[in-house]
Amino acid sequence: MMDSFGRFWSLLGAALRTRCGLRYLYKMSLAVSLRRALLALLSGAIFILTVLYWNQGTIKTQAYNEALERHPSHRDASAFPIPVEKSWTYKCENDRCMRVGHHGKSGKRVSFISCSMTCGDINIWPHPTHKHVLSPHTHSFSVDDVQLQVDTTHREVRKQLQTVFDWFLKDLRQIQRLDYAGSGSEPAVSESSSSKSRRHTQQDSEPAATLFGATFGAKQAGDLSSVQVKIAVHKSGDLNFSLDNDESYYLTSNTDGHRLLVEITANSYFGARHGLSTLQQLIWFDDEDRLLHTYASSKVKDAPKFRYRGLMLDTSRHFFSVEAIKRTIMAMGLAKLNRFHWHLTDAQSFPYISRYYPELAEHGAYSESETYTEQDVREVAEFAKIYGVQVIPEIDAPAHAGNGWDWGPKRGMGELAMCINQQPWSFYCGEPPCGQLNPKNNHTYLILQRLYEELLQQTGPTDLFHLGGDEVNLDCWAQYFNDTDLRGMWCDFMLQAMARLKVANNGVAPKHVAVWSSALTNTKCLPNSQFAVQVWGGSTWQENYDLLDNGYNVIFSHVDAWYLDCGFGSWRATGEAACAPYRTWQNVYKHRPWERMRLDKRRKKQVLGGEVCMWTEQVDENQLDNRLWPRSAALAERLWTDPSDDHDMDVVPPEVFRRISLFRNRLVELGIRAEALFPKYCAQNPGECI
Amino acid sequence: MRSSGYNRYHCYALAICVCFAVGAALTRADDTDHDAQAGSSASRKWLCSQTDICSPETELTPGLQYAVERFESQRDCRLSCGKYGSIWPMPTGEAGFIGNERVRFDPWKVRFHVVAPGEAATQFLRETNRLFVSNLLKECTRNCTLEGSKQILVRATVANETLVLDWATDESYALVVRTTDTATFVDIQAPTVYGARHAFETLTNLVTGSLSNGLLMASAARITDRPAFPHRGVLLDTSRNFVPLKFIRSTLDAMATSKMNVLHWHVVDTHSFPLEITRVPEMQRYGAYSSSQTYSRQDALNLVKYARLRGIRILIEIDGPSHAGNGWQWGPAAGLGNMSVCLNQSPWRKFCVQPPCGQLNPLNDHMYAVLKEIFEDIAEVGAPEETLHMGGDEVFLPCWNNTKEIRDGMRAQGFDLTEESFLRLWSQFHQRNLNAWDEITERMYPGIKEPKSVIVWSSHLTDPKYIETYLPKERFIIQTWVESQDSLNRELLQRGYRLILSTKNAWYLDHGFWGSTSYYNWRAVYSAGMPATQHRSQVLGGEVCMWSEYVDQNSLESRIWPRAGAAAERLWSNPKSSALAAQRRFYRYRERLLARGIHADAVIPHWCVLHEGKCL
Repeated sequence: MMDSFGRFWSLLGAALRTRCGLRYLYKMSLAVSLRRALLALLSGAIFILTVLYWNQGTIKTQAYNEALERHPSHRDASAFPIPVEKSWTYKCENDRCMRVGHHGKSGKRVSFISCSMTCGDINIWPHPTHKHVLSPHTHSFSVDDVQLQVDTTHREVRKQLQTVFDWFLKDLRQIQRLDYAGSGSEPAVSESSSSKSRRHTQQDSEPAATLFGATFGAKQAGDLSSVQVKIAVHKSGDLNFSLDNDESYYLTSNTDGHRLLVEITANSYFGARHGLSTLQQLIWFDDEDRLLHTYASSKVKDAPKFRYRGLMLDTSRHFFSVEAIKRTIMAMGLAKLNRFHWHLTDAQSFPYISRYYPELAEHGAYSESETYTEQDVREVAEFAKIYGVQVIPEIDAPAHAGNGWDWGPKRGMGELAMCINQQPWSFYCGEPPCGQLNPKNNHTYLILQRLYEELLQQTGPTDLFHLGGDEVNLDCWAQYFNDTDLRGMWCDFMLQAMARLKVANNGVAPKHVAVWSSALTNTKCLPNSQFAVQVWGGSTWQENYDLLDNGYNVIFSHVDAWYLDCGFGSWRATGEAACAPYRTWQNVYKHRPWERMRLDKRRKKQVLGGEVCMWTEQVDENQLDNRLWPRSAALAERLWTDPSDDHDMDVVPPEVFRRISLFRNRLVELGIRAEALFPKYCAQNPGECI
Repeated sequence: MRSSGYNRYHCYALAICVCFAVGAALTRADDTDHDAQAGSSASRKWLCSQTDICSPETELTPGLQYAVERFESQRDCRLSCGKYGSIWPMPTGEAGFIGNERVRFDPWKVRFHVVAPGEAATQFLRETNRLFVSNLLKECTRNCTLEGSKQILVRATVANETLVLDWATDESYALVVRTTDTATFVDIQAPTVYGARHAFETLTNLVTGSLSNGLLMASAARITDRPAFPHRGVLLDTSRNFVPLKFIRSTLDAMATSKMNVLHWHVVDTHSFPLEITRVPEMQRYGAYSSSQTYSRQDALNLVKYARLRGIRILIEIDGPSHAGNGWQWGPAAGLGNMSVCLNQSPWRKFCVQPPCGQLNPLNDHMYAVLKEIFEDIAEVGAPEETLHMGGDEVFLPCWNNTKEIRDGMRAQGFDLTEESFLRLWSQFHQRNLNAWDEITERMYPGIKEPKSVIVWSSHLTDPKYIETYLPKERFIIQTWVESQDSLNRELLQRGYRLILSTKNAWYLDHGFWGSTSYYNWRAVYSAGMPATQHRSQVLGGEVCMWSEYVDQNSLESRIWPRAGAAAERLWSNPKSSALAAQRRFYRYRERLLARGIHADAVIPHWCVLHEGKCL
């Protein structure tokens, strides 16, 4: 609106100007006093200037408005979760950064992060698998100088990459702390005289830069005038997730004068996105010049070792907001995890509002506000794609389903589920409340089919879907059915669910249909050509070998390593804690079942990957971040890089500490409330606490 | 200028008036609606069983006896279900009573009348009233304004003008709520302002949000209450990882909710020295992780005041001779010699129990002089009656023994290098510091009747074999951190020592995340018994300990809460009943913490909270 308003004034101004000008020129030609003519010229000039100024004003307001929209508040820099540490300077010795006091000494201070990024091995998480070369020289720049160029023939890929890049820039802005007020963060103590004088020189130089910028229309904050990111994707235009996605990428960067050219080459969108994730970690914020820094040149060639790198969140025991889920996915993307397994429903609650059967949520959600709409699921899936993460929803069945399934009789559909909330619960289920779907009610299957259908629509085409299928309590069914072969009934249920999934998926069954490991997967009733088994039992159990021998593809989620909910004691008043102790990030990191089991090449190929599980009996939104992070990141490197490891139990090499500590900081910088790894002293003094 | 400004305000005022009028009209219409609903029994679906279980009428457990009263919500039911309703920690007085009737009210319309001797006490209570109202507002589930609200008249009477808060402070109170046709009267009687503030805390536990506008309060109640132990603390370590002030304040808020009264501020350790010592600025300059990860003198003063208003003492610990390193490294450069030895040495296992290493040099007079300056600062920051925690744990004798300077110095002073000599040296360290502390407090607060006792951790030195030689019981209070089955507590009590208990296998909140330690869930915390002894008065109380190796602001709140609340009930009520009997009150307490902005851990699936008695 301001824009058109301004245009109106400029037109009016132009009109007036010409008319007045002509009249006075005419008068002047009639030899009226020169003073008048000058006055006329002056007023004309003033008018022109006013109009120009007005125009400029409009543009400014608009830009300002945009800026306001993007950054609603400038906060105090000292409130930023990663503080500026001006008390210390760092020296690189033997690939380790040594902390040295910087109290009133002159000389250039090297910040911890700049030292860490240029000392020793590459400092990104997960570690690249193929090769990497980094220049020892670094350059500074501001996020405003970063541009994207996409080189691809696939229109959809181009569009998607542009979106990814927008988020990339948003993260960089956060890393550069642009939403936080400038340099006023350093009170009292370590504000040594030298740093004060340095600040003065900085302030002196700033107006000059602004003037320069105003005059020539270009502003250069750091050494680099521009950072050009060129992403090339030629081979595949596919944006659909599949285990066959080529996630490799090749990243190079080179400086040409004041320009840095970064090239990311990948065979697919997914690889390109990982490349950007790596690039983001190759950029850091230096609190000395308050600019972003990166290497003068670099080469990273990278590809994952495992295809399925998952994180499971249970949103039934406790509800989690879409915002919390998105935050989790954002962190997953940074760690290059690629599957968000959404354990959407369980016996406790049914938070998903189905298009066809809203009764499920009406009867099963904890409250009206603790629900997910179709739009929510779609939104999460679209957001996840930006971070290279596939959303895999799971409606657990036939067990782990109860609340939400009790309205069948009212609608004339018969009992959809049995044993709902039945007591004493320990007779009929593994944990209260009980509930198990009715295997002999066709409506049950129909509802499942419709649920699969809509969830597939919202999360997109897939080659992997999860049916749940674990912990069926045969005693529950035995109350209602005289069948002797209750396990057969369970098996039939899974096969029927599978058939319904096929119908829901336009007549094609997804290539992999995942189920949890259970007594059923120890038999061969489920065809190994279609079913993949998510193994959650102990890593030393026989079933691990049996499943592989029986030809199943597996996803490991061993309770003794990758269950992130363990270690908080029993939540019930009776009974022991199921799976203590707590798994530290080292436990997660050190777990390498394929090595311990000495799998041959063929069997190792059956291992699709692994997944950490966040069951939420004792977790809600208040502590989700710190339960998940940085431990999930430990899994990410295990599955992406799978570094070999000859150390003792629980001993992680110092180099890994160094990198995960930095990665944890990066998560905190981006707003993830990740848990502390150790005392900050140990973060400031790499290697000293080991 | 002035008049135009005035006019503008006038306009605003007018606009606001209009808004209010419209708003009021709307809410009134709303209210009548809700009243009609709330009045009908159809919307009152919850019942309370004799076994203290609230169930909706559709899910009554067969075989249970339910009372006839019906409540609009689970929380409404919980207010008076069971002997203690939803009061946490449970009141200890006899003949408590909470009625089943409710009064609906608008928190803005609560009127206070304060009767207290002295200006200070009166002001304190006014602040308490303000905090009380802000806590009430956090209970609001919907719009809390209520036209035609019943009048709530609160009268708080405090007998003593003292604001002293120490182990002798009487924190008891009596609270009576009664309702007549015209108004609801709340009568609070307490000997001290601290008792009165606890009464207000209890009063918030008699209130819950309503499904319609306003809040619900039990319209009749009678509660008398006093704590079982005078020391109910949380230890917060801000050295291993820094904790921003905001999070210390939130810890204080949660403590106030739980009627805990001591924040043991383990402000410095070997890792970092974030606290500003105005007399010795070097400590912070050399010891802080960064200049924004610090506490200024003013911060500390503000914190003490903030805590006071919530009935909490801040007890500062300056740990020594061990657990002191970073912040002490400037001695040689300043010509004061090595004040700390083994500093940041490696391999650390040779010099300390946990990296980084550092132990004060007990033979360096300058170190004592600096320590005294630090004590002066601490004395100025704290209340006149407040004492000091001197630390004194985990002295690693091999550090001293491996340091030539110490060995030589000891020999020169006539010590041999036996363990006994090292213990004597160590105890001299404490004695000398105690003398310094005495001198400071006598000078600064001449009114103090007797010298203040200080606190030290249990250690080698507090071994029942030696303790009487090294640490006189009149002056040293021992904070023990042994496991529950250890005999140390009993033996020290027999020898006449006063104790603060931090039972290591129940109240160490950092356990379960490192080494072979295990996590203690709220039931384990709750079940940690206090010693049954004839020396009851020697047991001052206890503290849960939040060591911060593996927590910082990102997980601090969920690590401490709600578990510390379980200890709060142990220390306030010392109940004979089990955690099982407390669980429903505890879940409600956790929700109260959440409402007050504390990110407390979840302890049980939400379904089990909603369906009482179904997850046993």
